[in-house]
Amino acid sequence: MKLLFNLAIKNLIGAGIRTWLNVIVLSFSFVIIIWHKGILDGWNEQARNDMINWETGGGQYWQNRYDPYDPFSLTEAHSKIPQYLDSIASKGELASILITQGTIYPSGRIQSILIKGINSNQKILKLPSAQFIGNSEEIPALIGRQMANENGLKVSDLVTLRWRDIHGTFDASEMKIIGIFDTNVPTVDLGQVWVPLDRLQRMIGAPGEATIMVRQKTESGFYTDTGWKFKDKEELLKAITDLIKIKSVGGIVLYIILLSLSMLAIFDTQVLSIFRRQKEIGTYIALGMTRRQVVGLFTIEGSLNSVLAGLLAALYGIPFLAFQSKTGISISGASKEYGLALADKIFPTYSLGLIATTIVLIMITTTIVSYLPSRRIAKMKPTEALRGKLQ
Amino acid sequence: MEDSKNISIQGLKKYFTTPGGRFTALNGIDLEFGKAEFAGVVGPSGSGKTTLLNIIGSLDSPSEGKVIVLGRSISELNVKQAALLRRSQLGFIFQSYNLLPVYTVFENIEFPLLLLKLNDRQRKKMVMDSLEWLGLTDKVRSKPAQLSGGECQRVAIARAMVKKPEIVLADEPTANLDAANSHHILKTMVQLNSEFKTTFIFATHDDKVIGYLKRKISLVDGKIANDEITNN
Repeated sequence: MKLLFNLAIKNLIGAGIRTWLNVIVLSFSFVIIIWHKGILDGWNEQARNDMINWETGGGQYWQNRYDPYDPFSLTEAHSKIPQYLDSIASKGELASILITQGTIYPSGRIQSILIKGINSNQKILKLPSAQFIGNSEEIPALIGRQMANENGLKVSDLVTLRWRDIHGTFDASEMKIIGIFDTNVPTVDLGQVWVPLDRLQRMIGAPGEATIMVRQKTESGFYTDTGWKFKDKEELLKAITDLIKIKSVGGIVLYIILLSLSMLAIFDTQVLSIFRRQKEIGTYIALGMTRRQVVGLFTIEGSLNSVLAGLLAALYGIPFLAFQSKTGISISGASKEYGLALADKIFPTYSLGLIATTIVLIMITTTIVSYLPSRRIAKMKPTEALRGKLQ
Repeated sequence: MEDSKNISIQGLKKYFTTPGGRFTALNGIDLEFGKAEFAGVVGPSGSGKTTLLNIIGSLDSPSEGKVIVLGRSISELNVKQAALLRRSQLGFIFQSYNLLPVYTVFENIEFPLLLLKLNDRQRKKMVMDSLEWLGLTDKVRSKPAQLSGGECQRVAIARAMVKKPEIVLADEPTANLDAANSHHILKTMVQLNSEFKTTFIFATHDDKVIGYLKRKISLVDGKIANDEITNN
């Protein structure tokens, strides 16, 4: 094996430009596959972290009637916070959120919104709810940057807010924008207005009530017998997880195309090699190599393309990928409208597993592609091969 | 002819299937070669010389008859055994040299020794020795493309001789060489034959080669027309 390996290296290097063309094409596959996968992994990690920090926390308790996709049941989806959860919330380990529908009238337009009341002193979500403290005159409101941009709102603006209380009575008042926060999570930004929890409870006549309770992200296990539904972190992150899975499947198509191109180049070279090097094959056999050894030699030669490609890819790929993971990749503003957590910049992450899997995948594929044409050698007649006669 | 038999051929026939039907390349050959012979199978193109050499060299097998090389029956050898026989005891010299193009002169000559799994020191000594026999010490690092035809054939001889095989089979070794190079190479082979007692069997129709043979076997249409000891 060592002999075949040494011979294969000599032959491969000796083949000159043919080898290097294959190696260059294959190294592109290495780098692009790792880069693309790194973007997806980076996005996944970033999106999950953002969602956890801004929305899901470590899981949520939902009031039994709460269904985020059913606007008709929303007005009914609140009740007294169970005493047990309330005592935990008072220790700061749960953030209470009350949700109801409302309407704002920015610049004479009508905009349906969700009004969300949250504890001013919560530290579980990144929402800057501490800004509510000391703002008691108008309804103090926090909105996200996207919401502000879409409605032309800025800090200190007053805007009319209309809502219905639990008896169905409409009421309206001026709401003052006291802060605009920047987030990558559209589900806490677009069409939402955040107000102090106690204020919203008074506005709709539901004191001590909430719709959901958000748990600390470090919390594990869950409280039972609360009477509220518990949604764990993974269930709440399912949408983003599924989307990334779909993107990963789409990525496989790209990998197949890239791999097919490089494998085609290697297959072609192998076929050409066997065609052009018949005399050499005959000579190897005449000098005492078995056909199996010659097949092995050609297979190793082909496979070594992937080793050289890996080295070349490391040469320019490591600086390139490291640079990308440091500076990130800008995502266009339009992508925000997907309704999913997308940062302005995605920072690719390259795990050891990703790199190892890519290398193993390419090496196995290259070996198979190198072996297939080499099998022909086993059927060659050495006497014909020595004369360079086509077989 | 020497007493000890290196090669014994009895009733050898070789057929090839061609689009026009069955072609008989060798038709009932009976031959024996002893140790240290310097013999040649001569005859026109298509007479079966190369086929005979290929069978002796275990690169091909007989259709009928028995060929015993160094005590082993060629038709009974499997692919691996045949490879081992070639690797350890047979040397080949070809008309078009068949040097490995990406290897240097040293590496080409070293190749059979790598297959024999000799260590670095042994290999180096044996290669340098054969380079000296053939006067190629100044070409160690050259590649075949940088050598003349004569030099290439000397490298091929060195490669065939480096492991000091029992038998060297040379198929038209001078066909691509001019007269001066042909004589130089043939003299070298005569010298190696007498020094190492290696059996040389040529397939040739070149008069220059015939002039050096100690035994001339004439082959016509796959049959032995004449087998004579010469005065060389």
